[in-house]
Amino acid sequence: MTSPISIKVTINGRATSHHVPPRMILAEFLRDQLGLTGTKISCEIQVCGACTVLVDGKPISSCTYLAADIDGREVMTIEGVAEGDSLHPIQQAFVDHNALQCGFCTPGFVMATLALLAENQNPTEDDVAHYLEGNICRCTGYRPIIKAVIDAADRMGTS
Amino acid sequence: MTGMSEERVDAHAKVTGKALYALDLTVSGMLHGHLVRSTRAHATIRSIDVAAALATEGVVAAITADDLGDLFARYGHIVADHPILAIDKVRYYGEPVVLVVADNPYAAADGASHVRVRYADLPVMINPEDALAEGAERIHSEDYEYGDRSFEEAQSTLGDSNLAHVADLEWGDVDGAFASAPHVVESNVTYPMLYAYAMEPYNAVAWFDEGELEVVSTAQHPFQVRSDLARIFSLPLNQVRVRSPLLGGGYGSKSYTKVEPLAAVAAWITGRPVKVATDVDGAIHTTRADGATIRVRSAFADDGAILARDFDITFNTGAYADNGPLVLAKAVNRCYGPYLIPNVRVRGRAVFTNTVPTSSYRGFGAPQGNLAGELNLDQAAEKIGIDPAEIRRRNLVPPGGRHLPGKRGMDADLVGDLELVLDALGWKQDQKLPLRGTGFGCSASDAGAFPVSTATVRLFPDGSVTVLTGSTEMGQGSRTALAQIAARELGIKLDRVRVVQSDTAATPYERTTGASRTTTLTGLAVQRACRDALRKLEEIGAEKMDCTIEEVKTADGVVAGPQGELGYDEAIQWWFGGVQGEITGVGVVRRAGDLKELPPFWEIGMVGVTVTVDRDTGRPTVEHLVTVGDVGHAINPAMVEGQDLGAATQGLGAALFEELIYDGPQLVNPNLVDYRVPRTTDVPKRIDTIIVENADGVGPYGAKGSGEGSLNPIGGAVASAVARAIGVWPNELPLTPERVWRLMQTRQVSDIDS
Amino acid sequence: MSVLPAFDLDRPVSLSEALSLISEEAVPYNGGTELLLAMRAGFLRPDRLVDLKRIPELKRIEVADDQVIIGGGATHDEASGHDGIRATLPVLAETLSKLGNPRVRAAGTLGGNLCFAEPKSDVATVLMALDASVRLLGGSPDGTTTRDVPVAEFIVGPYTTTRTSAEILSQIRIPVDTQSRMTYMKYQTMERPTVGVAVSKSPNRTVAVIGAIGPIPEVFQAATLDDLDPETIAAALDVIEDLTGADDYKRHIAALLIARAIEKVAAG
Repeated sequence: MTSPISIKVTINGRATSHHVPPRMILAEFLRDQLGLTGTKISCEIQVCGACTVLVDGKPISSCTYLAADIDGREVMTIEGVAEGDSLHPIQQAFVDHNALQCGFCTPGFVMATLALLAENQNPTEDDVAHYLEGNICRCTGYRPIIKAVIDAADRMGTS
Repeated sequence: MTGMSEERVDAHAKVTGKALYALDLTVSGMLHGHLVRSTRAHATIRSIDVAAALATEGVVAAITADDLGDLFARYGHIVADHPILAIDKVRYYGEPVVLVVADNPYAAADGASHVRVRYADLPVMINPEDALAEGAERIHSEDYEYGDRSFEEAQSTLGDSNLAHVADLEWGDVDGAFASAPHVVESNVTYPMLYAYAMEPYNAVAWFDEGELEVVSTAQHPFQVRSDLARIFSLPLNQVRVRSPLLGGGYGSKSYTKVEPLAAVAAWITGRPVKVATDVDGAIHTTRADGATIRVRSAFADDGAILARDFDITFNTGAYADNGPLVLAKAVNRCYGPYLIPNVRVRGRAVFTNTVPTSSYRGFGAPQGNLAGELNLDQAAEKIGIDPAEIRRRNLVPPGGRHLPGKRGMDADLVGDLELVLDALGWKQDQKLPLRGTGFGCSASDAGAFPVSTATVRLFPDGSVTVLTGSTEMGQGSRTALAQIAARELGIKLDRVRVVQSDTAATPYERTTGASRTTTLTGLAVQRACRDALRKLEEIGAEKMDCTIEEVKTADGVVAGPQGELGYDEAIQWWFGGVQGEITGVGVVRRAGDLKELPPFWEIGMVGVTVTVDRDTGRPTVEHLVTVGDVGHAINPAMVEGQDLGAATQGLGAALFEELIYDGPQLVNPNLVDYRVPRTTDVPKRIDTIIVENADGVGPYGAKGSGEGSLNPIGGAVASAVARAIGVWPNELPLTPERVWRLMQTRQVSDIDS
Repeated sequence: MSVLPAFDLDRPVSLSEALSLISEEAVPYNGGTELLLAMRAGFLRPDRLVDLKRIPELKRIEVADDQVIIGGGATHDEASGHDGIRATLPVLAETLSKLGNPRVRAAGTLGGNLCFAEPKSDVATVLMALDASVRLLGGSPDGTTTRDVPVAEFIVGPYTTTRTSAEILSQIRIPVDTQSRMTYMKYQTMERPTVGVAVSKSPNRTVAVIGAIGPIPEVFQAATLDDLDPETIAAALDVIEDLTGADDYKRHIAALLIARAIEKVAAG
């Protein structure tokens, strides 16, 4: 039997503490322990981006990150993005541009977009394509997603 | 309400992470299953040792085929050849052999790692040639129960071989036509094995409740799964409940039964709910799409008229039938293209091999045949000296024409669609630029599967409405499109309609969700259900307003009579004497009337691409993509465009990047690093998604289906575009940079520039 | 979902504590971007993992006129975004800013990348062209040992380095020569690159390093840029055939990139 690790974390603005087995990965912790199933698991080799969360503001593949390693950190998941009942401009842009179909990749894309726009408030379509190259969508053909991100940057810039 | 790009009804839930998929489900007391998969491609099982697995802390059971007692331990909707867990032998590397069940996923995985299976090797056949060679070991040597009589009849002709299915088509005098034709052109092509990569992998949770089986699964066809499960457990259909929540992708790969029997037998044995979820590696080893080799010979007159076509199609269909036989049958129907041809012969064979079983994938046999047929047509155009656009114009079947004898006449203006593609591409036959080429292609698929669909509409006393349908929502937008149809039929606002789907206990029967059929066929069922409900409201209105039913009209949420009107809510409340009760409308679609002729509609594919090729590396880049969606009436135009672009992108995946590769008995690349799918940086710079609405379909308001058409001709279009860019005709997909580079090496460098 | 094997976790807060914990069975890790995947695939089953992320010294980045020192625990993002590195080692900064994807760059470290010695790595190729070394700290009963090993000697085979299980890669030490010119180019069509080529020219050293094409990056030194012949180098390479290319195609691309890199450096 391995020893559980005690962690103190802030998840979507709420501080809590937990005990996690070392082998538990962050995605499992979020989905199975906390019931935050918005973060998805897909490729499990960190190339699809469906599991993207923000740890201390940085995009992380939660499928390849130990739950123990969020100790002392702030984590944001898709559940923490909307502002109460109102969608975040990124989420609204995805809705408006039909930038989703099955939706399984969508939380990951929203989190990646949050990280992108924090780094670059005014990306070109090329910037967006290159940054989001690490997120896979199998449904949309990507163009509506890229348009949504440009539009979101616009809306966030003028607000 | 239709013809408008309404916001998807599930968009909000999906962008906030609130949308629930089967993979997200936790059931109280749930156990977790972890599969032990075969490490042999073809072998008998000598022994299975689960003692160490059972001794692992947290493990509750380690299930093999021997534990399934009197259950009917197989599944398969065409033929029940697929063991739930391997029985005595394994037929492909990765086949499920043991299911370890434990309190948590860790214990299940740890337990599974302790299972020891011993095998005695049998000869391994990965390619159809090996499987059909003289004296080849039979992969299946048992008699199985057939679910579909037409396939059973075909099977009986196959004799003692590894043929899984044979489908032939013939009319006219093919040999005579070839003998006298001025031009004969032959092409041989190879289409790769593919992985659909629905981003949510296969998973299911199952439990028994007082002897009734309940399953929640990421299944496209819950009613088909119900049938398989009912047979396994000898339960009547009404004691098996299969529910599908939102699906994280499907594309056909989640058609029919996959891991549900595993979860169900584990629940049966342990007496507790059990979840079985594959990872991507497991998903790839569950179902893939057919790779094919196709030979086509076509005979032409001097003016480019097609005199005859002769196809030989071989599908590598893997270790079990699943839906493979139907995919082959459709490939046969679709390969020669939407052209009027007086003499046609197609011989199709699906061959069992010791590889992952194949099943449906978007396009359903059309992409494979289309690559051969359209490439061949373009090669012929070059040889004869005719514009490839003109050769198509000359041969495309006109509206009403029957290019597949005995089937529905063409319900689309194909030449009109082609002109739109050519116009968007700026096609000029004589324009030749070095390392730049344009290609385009046409397809027509006998889509819609079989026209059986039912729907119910419930009108509540507050005027809100629920539509019940057994169809599933996998991203294609059924939940929204059906809501739009109901809103339009009932004359109420879209936000007053809810669509509840895919629950075999609570929603009415839907045969399948696939074959691009839902808008057309389920849409018709919803329309009919709405009209049935409105009829009842008219009866109520006539009674309350003391007039005849002919004097009553329903429109815009109101039942209007000669001297007054009632809102739907008022009518219902009056009928039931309070804010209570509900009015139910039922809609049934079956093969009768408008739908007697098959297919219910032709799904059109009409696409074009312009491709540039890097002189030094061979790397192809799609500069421009054009798709035409000839859908009759676009219920939701943005969703149609989304489906066309998504389909074309998957087509580009097969054309440029994707292939599953076997090296010996094993897949080399069962993961998303080594199996390369399209990414944001592969998006063509220019994309035109055009919609054509001629109201020429049998569906609601003249609608026809969408979702696969824009994939089908992509492979051939890209291959022809590359051929025109480099001056060499490819004969296989995907056209990776290396493959293109190799083709370029077969020419002198100077030739390419001229 | 697939799971990691069971292991215990230590989280030291100093280098000396970390050195006292690591061993054959207790493996150090940082971002885990390679290690955790290898564990999930069943290739590695350490009894313990030793988390190095809480050790401040490992994150230190120092830029001086003649040398840049990057802590082994600095992430690709931290290094590529560091003003001093961008000014003095622009090619390294640019390479790090483009590798993998944003999530790998946020979590992965240079130290981890070098220790894992993935043959497809860009980082090793560029650092070899820069004539960089790694500093390895070892714990022993007599105290901490220190040895500096050139990256070219540190990576000895696929997934194989000369780091002992008792050592931590604490720094990457890179000489800075303001008179040197360098470029790095790679060709990539799949998830991993086909070939990466670094060419560097300074008064005392002209070198081409070809990586991602074989088991380890290969270094070719010459007196001048003119003495680097792309075809000869490409023919001499140890090439691994895989899904990113067959032998002849890879050599062709390598020669192409070598020629382009030489031309770019020559043009200054």
